[in-house]
Amino acid sequence: MKKYILITVLTLCCISCADDFVETDPPYTVDTENFFLSEEDYRNGLVAIYDLLNANYASVMLAEVASDDINTGGESPTDVIGWQQVDRMIHTPINQQVKDVWDFNFAGVYRASFMIENQDKTDFPGKEQFLAEARFLRAFYNFNLVRFFGEIPIKPEGRFELGDELSIPRFSVEDVYAHIEDDLLYAVENMATTSVEPWRVNQYAAKALLGKVYLYMEEYDKAASELTDVINTGAFHLYGTQGDEEFANLFEFEGENSGESVFEIQYTGVQGAGFDCLQCSTGNVMVGFSGVRGYSGPTFEPGFGFILPTEDIYNAYSSNDLRRDLSILDIEAWASDTGASFNIGNQDEQTGHTGYYNRKYLPRENDNLPDANLTQPNNYRAIRYADVLLMAAEANVLGTGGDEPARNYLNQVRNRAGLSSVQSSGTELLETIYNERRLELVGEGHRFFDLVRTNRAANRIDGFVAPKNNVFPIPQEEMQFAQDNWEQNQGY
Amino acid sequence: MTSVFYAQEKQVSGTVVDADLNIPLPGVEIQVEGTDQGTTTNFDGEFMLDGLSSGDVLLFTYIGFKTLKVTIDDRDVYDLKLESDVEQLEETIVIGYGKQSRRNVTGSVSKVGSEDIKKLEPLNAAQSLQGTVSGVNVTPTGGSPGAEANIRIRGISTNGNNRPLIILDGIQYEGGLNSINPQDIEEVTVLKDAQAAIYGTLGANGVVLVTTKGGKRNQEAKFDYSTYYGLQQTTRTLPLLNATEYGLLINEKYANAGQVSPLGNITGLGRGTDWQDEVFETAPVVSHNLSVSGGSEKTSYRISASHLGQEGIVGGDKSGFKRQTAQLALDTDLKDNLNLKTNLNYFHTENRGLNDFGLGSVLFNAINMAPTIGTNVDNLTGFIDLGNEVVNPLTQIRNTFNEGTTNRISGNVHGTWEYYDNLDLQARIGFNSANTRFREFLPVFNYGPNKVFNRLEDNLVNQNQQSDYDYTIDVFNTYENKFADIHEVTIMIGMNAFRQYGEFVGGSRTGVPNNSWEFANIGTATGTGDENTSTSFAYDLRRLSYFARVQYTLKDRYLFSGMLRRDSSNIFASDNRVGWFPSATAGWIASDEDFFPEIEAIDFFKIRGSFGVLGNDRVPQFAYRSSLASGAASYVDASGGIITGQSPALLPNPEIKWEENTMFDIGFDLRLWNNKVNLVMDYYRRDTRDLLIPGLPVTGITGIAAPGSGAPVINAGSVRNQGIEIELSYSDNWTDDLSINTSFNVSTINNEVTAINGADFIEGGQFGVGQPLPSRMQVGQPIGYFYGYQTNGIFQNQAEVDAHPSQQALGANAQPGDLRFVDTNADGVIDESDRVNIGNPIPDVTLGYNLSLNYKQWDFSTYMFANIGNDIVRNFERDQPNVNMLAYNKARWTGPGSTNTVPRLTSGATANNVFSDFFVEDGSFLRLQTLSVGYSFKPELLEKIKVSNLRLYAKVDNIYTFTGYSGYDPTASTGQPIGQGIDFGFYPLPRTAILGLTAQF
Repeated sequence: MKKYILITVLTLCCISCADDFVETDPPYTVDTENFFLSEEDYRNGLVAIYDLLNANYASVMLAEVASDDINTGGESPTDVIGWQQVDRMIHTPINQQVKDVWDFNFAGVYRASFMIENQDKTDFPGKEQFLAEARFLRAFYNFNLVRFFGEIPIKPEGRFELGDELSIPRFSVEDVYAHIEDDLLYAVENMATTSVEPWRVNQYAAKALLGKVYLYMEEYDKAASELTDVINTGAFHLYGTQGDEEFANLFEFEGENSGESVFEIQYTGVQGAGFDCLQCSTGNVMVGFSGVRGYSGPTFEPGFGFILPTEDIYNAYSSNDLRRDLSILDIEAWASDTGASFNIGNQDEQTGHTGYYNRKYLPRENDNLPDANLTQPNNYRAIRYADVLLMAAEANVLGTGGDEPARNYLNQVRNRAGLSSVQSSGTELLETIYNERRLELVGEGHRFFDLVRTNRAANRIDGFVAPKNNVFPIPQEEMQFAQDNWEQNQGY
Repeated sequence: MTSVFYAQEKQVSGTVVDADLNIPLPGVEIQVEGTDQGTTTNFDGEFMLDGLSSGDVLLFTYIGFKTLKVTIDDRDVYDLKLESDVEQLEETIVIGYGKQSRRNVTGSVSKVGSEDIKKLEPLNAAQSLQGTVSGVNVTPTGGSPGAEANIRIRGISTNGNNRPLIILDGIQYEGGLNSINPQDIEEVTVLKDAQAAIYGTLGANGVVLVTTKGGKRNQEAKFDYSTYYGLQQTTRTLPLLNATEYGLLINEKYANAGQVSPLGNITGLGRGTDWQDEVFETAPVVSHNLSVSGGSEKTSYRISASHLGQEGIVGGDKSGFKRQTAQLALDTDLKDNLNLKTNLNYFHTENRGLNDFGLGSVLFNAINMAPTIGTNVDNLTGFIDLGNEVVNPLTQIRNTFNEGTTNRISGNVHGTWEYYDNLDLQARIGFNSANTRFREFLPVFNYGPNKVFNRLEDNLVNQNQQSDYDYTIDVFNTYENKFADIHEVTIMIGMNAFRQYGEFVGGSRTGVPNNSWEFANIGTATGTGDENTSTSFAYDLRRLSYFARVQYTLKDRYLFSGMLRRDSSNIFASDNRVGWFPSATAGWIASDEDFFPEIEAIDFFKIRGSFGVLGNDRVPQFAYRSSLASGAASYVDASGGIITGQSPALLPNPEIKWEENTMFDIGFDLRLWNNKVNLVMDYYRRDTRDLLIPGLPVTGITGIAAPGSGAPVINAGSVRNQGIEIELSYSDNWTDDLSINTSFNVSTINNEVTAINGADFIEGGQFGVGQPLPSRMQVGQPIGYFYGYQTNGIFQNQAEVDAHPSQQALGANAQPGDLRFVDTNADGVIDESDRVNIGNPIPDVTLGYNLSLNYKQWDFSTYMFANIGNDIVRNFERDQPNVNMLAYNKARWTGPGSTNTVPRLTSGATANNVFSDFFVEDGSFLRLQTLSVGYSFKPELLEKIKVSNLRLYAKVDNIYTFTGYSGYDPTASTGQPIGQGIDFGFYPLPRTAILGLTAQF
């Protein structure tokens, strides 16, 4: 009897071979701990930071619908309700489109921080260039966040971890700007003046962004200094003013990565995309969404009919301003000229059909992959030379630089548009510069922030209440995750 | 016997028959009392014994019959009848690593036998649990052929995978019940309470034990053939607007907003196209099943093969399902004390599928497509704008090309060695090997501007293959003995090793020649560019377990058992890898006590209870590790090419550990009036702690919105399910010709979330497009309850609007004819903080009723089941201004006093479409599931054609559903814990009329 029990127990023990059986690693995977071991890893990590630039459409579109010059449009007055509500300035902390801006930009910050926290892991010549670009991009994402949300949590030395939302406070706007400035100063110092690869940013882009940040910080002389540096390099010019360039092609495929481009976000139509992950698209989601509904005709492709310029902005151009018809498509006129057909979606007075479309970012005929509405390849000109000139003009007027250089910069932009030079000065000059920014940069995502930073938003935007609407609410979900650690923005 | 020397020694022979049925009994054991001399009856029930003398006593024993004592007199031939023994016929129940007589079972266990399965004749074995077993809720994922069903045992306890463990012939089976041929199933046992603790970390959602049929010993080869042919059709079409009504309502919609209607002149539209009529068709289903079984004295066998072919009621063969199975079961005694059983199963399934779920599904398009458009319009350019999903469903069907094939071989070898008195050692090796292939072709096609299905430039073929393997090794040792006639002890100790691994390889390529399915293969496609992708993954899951069980019975009426299992698995990090799962059960057969009152009616009364801890580990593996995602990060170079990078994947959670279920059950079994009435009642409570919640939303500052990243899996909550289950059955032979068998079961579920760590609530589900998530998990509420606005009628005039708090925050200022939302927090404004619980997708009560009657050669049976108290969200109406509408809109608000339920139509800004109780309906239903009538020919008639049994039958499935719900089918559900009960226009379960035949020869 005992013998048998012994046999049994032995059998069990032999077969069991202890818990070694379950000590395994997942097949074919790399852990975050085994990364940043070579230059190639740093490059792969850098690509991942640039990746979130493709999701920048969410920030641009939200800023556009918030502005005075754009109606949301879409299929109906409730299509993408988050934008419709922002357009009417009745948005609340529950807003998916606001949350997207929060999530996508913080995702960019996270990926940049991943490389920055591993900056000492491996040494190789030229590593600073990678780190400089990472810090430029972190600054770009944080700059979006501070403009949309005001105070935000920051963590300069590493990635956010789960639980940080309970302990890291929302830093003051000044602190956030200081952090952004710090990143950009590092970027300017450590970046080459020419891009390492054409899609990557260089020192001038960093300087231009730094100048822009200074403008928002109301550090006008510092802004003027950085922006003037960019202008004085001679590396950039207004498109259409050199060689056989034609101004009309600035926003065509031909005008991409041109001499006017200081910082351009690259898009492509060679990779498919779906609605389940818009931020995964390497196409410009804004473009498909901006297309004319049910469009059938030449030049353009159809889209979802969002981002509709108002009659007010159309009429703000003088009739000899070349920019009017290059920036805004009058669909009735176009249809009668070309025989194109189209559908009208949202007809709401406040947010609906205007008869005008954002021509700069309409989908052009091309062979992009499905879903074709999400994979339009139009690059987004994040900072173009005209913007640099206008910012420099503004900084000079408001700072100690004076009206003379300001008028010079302003008139370069006006002249290209077929307009005569202005000779005004002082407040009048400033107003002209503001107006020029509106006309030059319509549909590019700048208008709302320009109005807010110059305290003109409440006068221009229906339903806008200052200071409440200077920033957007922190998404409701985030407030709940942070429990009592963060306070909601005033008025929301 | 050799000592007997005088001449009275003689030879005795005879036959043994069943006293009731009067048929010969083979294999009856015959023993001469007080000696070890004996024999058994042969196939014809005959026996012969030598060397007997008058006065010897023969004992005739046979399982299920009373032992017969016969004293040898001067006769030489004895024709004997054995009486069946009800007590002994007591069914045995498979309880995992052992069997137990039903009488002594102390856990809550339900069983569905082959008789029930035969009557139900389900296409999918899971359906046999619906309405037949208390506490089990089966919800199909839709009516398309081959659709799997979700099985939920005693409510919903986890936010992850709620699937019960399926054990096929003792071996963990991951293939889905759909791949098993229902005719091969002998019985299905469901372990509902702590008794499942023998399966430790696998048992938390209950255990379904499937035992397949085997042969019988001492039986000549017996052939069984069954076949049926049936026709399926939809049970329902939704009432929609015809073209004229559509035209009128669309124009009114625009007029109400002061806008121009895109439809213009609507005269002469007539009835237009009835898209539902166009897509639904009558589709056939056919089944053949052949088996042969039998056995000799030491061996039994069964071989079977089956074929099932089913087409869809939408799309016909474009949504077909084929299943072929073959099975071999062998059971043999290698030696007196060594038995070997083996089972080999082959499954082959072929699937073709249409887009049958949610936005963009064929039925969704049939509901929303404008009736003014003709069936032959493939490209909607120039037609009314129907948004970017709605396309011609017929075109969509025509352009759908896919096929999936699964080949699976599974089996096991099970040895039992009785190596010593009362001791046996069993070893079992089981395996599954499955290969799944999928091929899909997307042709170049233009459905019209913006349509999401458009492929304008190039076609695409997707192909992939997945191989899944697993093996299980079980070794367990059982000691069974009885001491002093009153102490019965069974001790089992064992171990189990399980490994599941596999890999997937897939790719896509453009440039399929001739834009044709015929040539759709990566090899023949010629495309270049970024859409030509390839991908792969591999996984390796391992578990090691030790377990022990002690069962002790005192005086045959005090029953105790205790179990302990230790599991370790590589799903979790080293520190959290090991879990211990104890449980105990007890029972008392009160009716056996001397002091139990002598009540004639009561045959049996047992009280039982169980308590234990079980685990659940069904979450993605390696969630504790911080790994890198490849290919998720990509950017674009300046010439429009893709550059890929590497980025952190899913946010890791190093602390992740098992989900723990504490189960408590108390109940009784009562049998009355000669066991004719059987009553089982249970109260149960399941407390799930450390709920594993995959994709638990966490703060966006951790970068979870980045491509390839995502929310971590977190142990983040507790849920309690409790309720009462009652099973009542009655069976009797009223006369020699008429017998009845009927049963009724009812279960209640009360589900409540008791804790969530780190968040106030968790959201899920989907409603409309771009709306906040409608389902929530929140403390104090049932899991997945609906969270939205409460309505209180319709504003009849401007004065009512003015008197009500502003609804502007919902998207638009209210106007007369709009829904009036309730200011639940009374803060003078209607906004998102006014949302409340507006429905519960979990039924309060589920009921099942079965009846079968036999009258002479006729048999009749019916099954029905019901859910009471669950809510369903109507989410198949696209919130788009120009799509077709359900007919209830004809009763819309058109002026003061016209209606107080259906809001006005408008193409202007309105808050009428936000998620409110207007879209929530009572999903209670009663379904008449099966009605069947059969006729069995008399054996005398059949003898001539050498057939022992021939039955013809007619059966209708899913006959009628009594419900107030306005969608296709109140039973369909996604099965997601948070997000269930939302109807995306589910493909309805078909009504099926069948003619069938079974024969035995």
